[in-house]
Amino acid sequence: MRVIRACHELGIRAVAVFSDADRDALHVRLADEAYPIGPAAPRESYLAIGRLVALARRAKCDAVHPGYGFLSENADFADAVREAGIVFVGPPADVQRRLGEKTQARRLARDAGVPVADGTLAPLRDLDTARREAKRIGYPVMLKAVAGGGGKGMRAVASAAELDAAWRLSSGEAAGAFGSAALFVEKLIAHARHVEMQILADSRGGIVWLGERDCSIQRRNQKLIEESPGPSVDAALRERLGDAALRIARAAGYVNAGTVEFLVDERGAFSFLEVNTRLQVEHPVTELVTGLDLVALQLHIAAGEPLPFAQSDVRRRGASIELRVTAEDARRGFMPATGRIALLREPAGPGVRVDSALFEGLTVTSDYDPLLMKVIAHGADRTEALARARRAVRETIVAGLPTSVAFHAHVLGEPDFVAGRYDTGYVATHWPPRAPVEVDDSAVTAAALVAVLATRGRAARRPVASPDGAWSRVGREEALR
Amino acid sequence: MIYEVSVGERRLRVDIGAHGRFLVDDGVVAAETAEIVRGRQWSVRLGHDSHEVTVLTHDPLRLLIDGTEVEASALDERAAAAARGASAARGGRHELRAPMPGLLKTVHVAEGDVVERDAPIMTLEAMKMENELLAPARSRVVRLVVGPGTKVEGGAMLAVLEESQ
Repeated sequence: MRVIRACHELGIRAVAVFSDADRDALHVRLADEAYPIGPAAPRESYLAIGRLVALARRAKCDAVHPGYGFLSENADFADAVREAGIVFVGPPADVQRRLGEKTQARRLARDAGVPVADGTLAPLRDLDTARREAKRIGYPVMLKAVAGGGGKGMRAVASAAELDAAWRLSSGEAAGAFGSAALFVEKLIAHARHVEMQILADSRGGIVWLGERDCSIQRRNQKLIEESPGPSVDAALRERLGDAALRIARAAGYVNAGTVEFLVDERGAFSFLEVNTRLQVEHPVTELVTGLDLVALQLHIAAGEPLPFAQSDVRRRGASIELRVTAEDARRGFMPATGRIALLREPAGPGVRVDSALFEGLTVTSDYDPLLMKVIAHGADRTEALARARRAVRETIVAGLPTSVAFHAHVLGEPDFVAGRYDTGYVATHWPPRAPVEVDDSAVTAAALVAVLATRGRAARRPVASPDGAWSRVGREEALR
Repeated sequence: MIYEVSVGERRLRVDIGAHGRFLVDDGVVAAETAEIVRGRQWSVRLGHDSHEVTVLTHDPLRLLIDGTEVEASALDERAAAAARGASAARGGRHELRAPMPGLLKTVHVAEGDVVERDAPIMTLEAMKMENELLAPARSRVVRLVVGPGTKVEGGAMLAVLEESQ
């Protein structure tokens, strides 16, 4: 969707692919051409390199943009695209390989003079090595997938007693998600913030950093809220992070858009985490602050053009915050949820941008990532950005399945978050809220009336109405479809 | 018909009389309602206060009231009485159900095992994440309904546990 929009603004025809599960998807309808790519299972569709490249050739595509999921960091895919004589919108495959193997990236950062957290600089051979290394570094540690990303295969391990189980779950997840079960271990930095630096590099040596995003609000090591500027980042730290990011990018021979992730501890000391060799989900935050179109710039860079501006031309204005609305039940530990979008109202108005794939009638399945919609607010400063985000969330309606919206509504009014006092432990310590949500008497009465009207209306439409177990309930709901 | 209603922590008795007249906790309420989307969304005016109420999910019932999400329930008096009886009869029995559709990867216990609260019972893979389903209390595993490798629907019964002291 995001890529199609950039293409259309640049007068480029957009070709989309879709799995059987996505026949009705919005991106299929917005694209100029759309091709089926296989069944719902990603392995047979969105991850099927051979099929995708053959199709791109048949459709006479000039370039392939890999998006920010699936094959976006897969060097074999980039190779296959280029071998077919098609431009890959992203860094060269050897750069992807160098940075995608996380222990190799750690070595590269260390050699470039960038601080790296204590940990292993090569993949762990087995559980015994992991035990030994974790003991050497000292608990708590993070267990991570060497081919990792997106929080998959990543686990905090508090003590030696937890290591066996964590090893089992993480290597299983890593093998499933990345095709490699290899893990490494690094020191867990308590009360750290996840701060990342956006970079852009052209193929002629031009390179700039565009500013940071604080992405500390996470659950299961996956981001829920991102903002820029980072509340804990002052001008001096920003310069140092920008400089470190460029040193790593230069050492890797980086080209196109990328993100260098860091952990920043309580004292403002930072250490390198990893490089994401692709566009990030949270790129709109940087777009709103800089006024740049990162996807359009990616396409220009891929076409061999130089960056149209220098570091000193980059202006950052105001503050921006992104909320990821996901198909996860915030009230039940962010359990993945499925269902049909029964009613939808996306927010709009001043300073609010919505990147969404939703429409009423869409059935959300468990086949893919639970991200539904991104609400991004921009303001002259953080206070105005938060006020707009709060107002936008209040207007948002995604009915038909449990979502993360209630979490966002809570966080945007929570004093620690509003004060910018948070780190990666925030969700664990601030959610679910201790006090029940406050609703005034008038609203409670209105809700009570609707509770009755909705229950009565549903009972009237049901063929049978005895209070019984879930099995017969499921049967009835299916009969009603 | 009189309903026993909960909205968040609050308990109310709501009666819808003839001509759409509402009584809340036996007092008449000046309410005017408009059903905007059938069965999903209502505009409610209480005096001059304007509220928008949306049914986010039916089971459990979650309402969005002016941008605030609340859990709610509405049971007519007979159903409320029946529910009270049923929960008493069930005692400390827990049905472990799949919170979402997915693939059951691992079963960590055997029938007859006694497990502590928060002990992992099963691992369910959904949306590429592995989720451990935990024991809600110290309990005995009475029955395992499905085995590893099974694809399960959301709400499917996976195991039956019985609280043990």
